[in-house]
Amino acid sequence: MAGTTTNFAIPYPSSTDYVTDGATAMKSIADTVDAVLFTGSSSGNLIINGAMQVTQRSAVGTAVTGITTSGYYAADRWKTAINTLGTFSQTTLADAPAGSGFRNCSRLACTTADASPAAGDYLIFQQAIEGQNLQAIRKGTASAQTVTLSFWVKAFQTGTFIVELEDSDNSRTVSKSYTVNVSNTWEYKTITYPADTTGAFDNDSNGSMTLNWWLGAGTTYTSGTLATTWAATVSANRAVGVSNLASSTSNNWFMTGAQLTVGSVATPFEFKSFADDLRNCERYYLKASALALSFAFIKPTLGFAEYFMPTTMRAATTLVCTFITRVTRPGVLDYLGDYRISNTVISGEHHREHLFLDWYSGNNFPDPYTAYTSLPATITMELSCEL
Amino acid sequence: MNYKIRIVDDRQFIIVENESSMMVIPFADENTDYQAYLAWVAEGNEAEEWIGE
Repeated sequence: MAGTTTNFAIPYPSSTDYVTDGATAMKSIADTVDAVLFTGSSSGNLIINGAMQVTQRSAVGTAVTGITTSGYYAADRWKTAINTLGTFSQTTLADAPAGSGFRNCSRLACTTADASPAAGDYLIFQQAIEGQNLQAIRKGTASAQTVTLSFWVKAFQTGTFIVELEDSDNSRTVSKSYTVNVSNTWEYKTITYPADTTGAFDNDSNGSMTLNWWLGAGTTYTSGTLATTWAATVSANRAVGVSNLASSTSNNWFMTGAQLTVGSVATPFEFKSFADDLRNCERYYLKASALALSFAFIKPTLGFAEYFMPTTMRAATTLVCTFITRVTRPGVLDYLGDYRISNTVISGEHHREHLFLDWYSGNNFPDPYTAYTSLPATITMELSCEL
Repeated sequence: MNYKIRIVDDRQFIIVENESSMMVIPFADENTDYQAYLAWVAEGNEAEEWIGE
């Protein structure tokens, strides 16, 4: 009777277990059910956008090429951290394990190889999590919990890779390895990490823990012994044994269905509505276009508008705005000159931005003056407070 | 990064410009772009005042 249950992977006891030690077998079942029920009623998936459904920065199928520096490039909330280890492209692709319910994945593809990493080189696919979203783990207490990571992975290159939990509040890490067994084939991986009774996560909106999918590293991170239990961070112990995704331009790495839950059992993926995923992502990054703004001049060359965000963002935001040059639209803007947007965050709740619109030429409006406009879709405004 | 400081009335902004866009960074400790700016300043750099066009 070997095997596990369909939905929660509860192991079946064998007939031998009952004959020789039925009490132990029943205890094992009870503990597993308890863990599953506990997990199901508490944390949910601590990872945001684990199914790679939200892609505000670049459309599904559109590659971001020439990646040599760290940044957020494609699927929301997912960051590529890289330090002089080849060149990569990143794409959110419509590719996923058949029958899994997933439709998208994130792909990193090597476009310039570096088969001999220098000591400090690394390539990491990562997601940082706010401290206040991690309290169910109860880290740093006597009742600290194990956590279990599950994800689907596909890669051209077979071999060993590392996933690390990095506690940035207390400078502690734990790393576990997984193996890509078959080239270009989706494989489901589950990794359980031990509890840590040392070092509580801060209960605030700053990043407290980062999940690091190590995809290559130099000896600075590989020359020790892999830290498979929580310990103070030792660089040499973080990614021991990791393969090098930058070793060849044939290499690529696909991942989707990432879920981190409290407990020692990998639970079925928590599929959320797209609206829920989008709102969760917009807490950290928001891209808006076709803005409708009511504005007023506070001086002949300076307009003022207010933008309300669709959700309360994590923190004060950085604004990136494409320049607006001579927008020709019916009505008031026909005789405005060149202008662009800058901003400052006024609200302590981070739910609105006050925008300044600077006019550089052609503005003949009196001061003060109020107006309304809808900006064209080609004009985008990005608000970011990523971790 | 080429950071500049812009002053509008009494308010200050950290500005980073390139050919097609402008980035405005808030003075906010929890903002990671601001943290990167502080690290840039800690390396001995100093932002010039943004003059505009």
